[in-house]
Amino acid sequence: MMTSEEYANVDHQPPQRVASDQQRGYKVSIKNLNSWFGTKQALKDITFGVKENTITSLIGPSGCGKTTLIRSLNRMNEMTPGASVKGSVYLDDVNIYDSAIDPVTIKRRIGMVFQKPNPFPTMSIYDNVAAGLKLNGVRDKKLINEIVEESLKASVLWDEVKGELNKPGSSISGGQQQRLCIARSLAMQPEVLLMDEPTSALDPIASAKIEELINELKRDLTIIIVTHNMQQAARVSDYTAFMYLGELVEYGPTKQIFENPQQELTERYISGKFG
Amino acid sequence: MTRLLDLGITRISNIIMDMANLSVRSVDTAIESYEKGIGSKEQIFEWSEQLRVLQDEVTELAVELIARYQPVATDLRFIRSCMESSYGFSRFGRYAYDIMDIIGTMGPLTHCDKNPVLSMANTAREMIHLSVKSLQTQDKNAAEKLYAMDDTVDALYRKYLREIITPSNKNDMKDMTSDPRCYLSTLLILRYLERISDHACYIGDSVHYIVTGVSSPRR
Repeated sequence: MMTSEEYANVDHQPPQRVASDQQRGYKVSIKNLNSWFGTKQALKDITFGVKENTITSLIGPSGCGKTTLIRSLNRMNEMTPGASVKGSVYLDDVNIYDSAIDPVTIKRRIGMVFQKPNPFPTMSIYDNVAAGLKLNGVRDKKLINEIVEESLKASVLWDEVKGELNKPGSSISGGQQQRLCIARSLAMQPEVLLMDEPTSALDPIASAKIEELINELKRDLTIIIVTHNMQQAARVSDYTAFMYLGELVEYGPTKQIFENPQQELTERYISGKFG
Repeated sequence: MTRLLDLGITRISNIIMDMANLSVRSVDTAIESYEKGIGSKEQIFEWSEQLRVLQDEVTELAVELIARYQPVATDLRFIRSCMESSYGFSRFGRYAYDIMDIIGTMGPLTHCDKNPVLSMANTAREMIHLSVKSLQTQDKNAAEKLYAMDDTVDALYRKYLREIITPSNKNDMKDMTSDPRCYLSTLLILRYLERISDHACYIGDSVHYIVTGVSSPRR
């Protein structure tokens, strides 16, 4: 993988320390997070912490704010016209909304995978994975080769594409494209991976592969996943957060949320009684 | 709108209540047979078999509901508890048959002192009724009451066992030496009643789990 020197060259922003409670060992701490699109409030005072090397699922009915929340965790939301955010999101002890922080640095440390596989259509499989590195100034071809291979291996795609790395990224199956997108994120060596309904466009077999991959990745990463599939949340995640109308209704260990939720609203939603 | 899962839950609830009624009837009839020397062993055997078949039906339906609808929260807890309760009701039927078997094997017991069995049977039957009622009303506090009653049943069983091992007066000795069928039948039936009481507690535990999501403190 990338050497520490290489990575230091890429990662320009020194972490902004805050004299805080160190977020009680959380990799990501969301504190009183509010978000608006124009005058419409999408997130209301969200507060919770995500432990390192865990998978957290965000569930809730359409329009409850899941995607807004996940996009707020790497400042992707601010690219939407009219969007505004108030509150804090800490990555370790760095508030990613601190005015001194470069959003590009944050996006590097917190990767994202989207609902629909979106490989760069004109680029080869190899270039799709290498793109981020090249954009960030990595020129060492041997290093890039190593990172591409390791990222494709980590996304369990290497064995399927190693002989055809020059084929267009858009020429492989949907499930493979999604794993390619995951490999593209992994190449940047993120600490956190955000996944917005990563399997909703995939068939059950491709979905199962992604779920297995997610489980493998948590050894090195902290993963936050938005899903509409309740069984997927129950299968893959260690913690589950249930959101409704922009509010965090309940957050806890997945076993508790699905076996013994503490809030009636959670119970009704996960039991299919509304939504 | 009714969820598809609700149709299955209604079906499994109906089977459980049928099992509850049949198991109560089985135990009541067995005790009555012991007390009055009447009753049909074949009839209790048939009910016991019915309960066993119904237990299999509950298990199969529960597995089908889990596989098809992936129930969660209260639904999941209810289905798990139905599987446990159905086992309890099936055991009630089996113990009722075992009591009938003892009565049949030992022959007429009219001359024996039946008070120890009848005394414990009152408590055990009360426990069965309470466990069934708790299932109907989802009374999470029944488990506590059932365990208190179970302590009484356990104490009665141990007391009788001690008396057999070390008879404390001549009357006890006379009864036991003159006809071992009396103390043997009493001891065995007390043992079955003690097991029935345990299963009534487990049903109370299941109700506690359905309602609260946590295991009964005594479990």
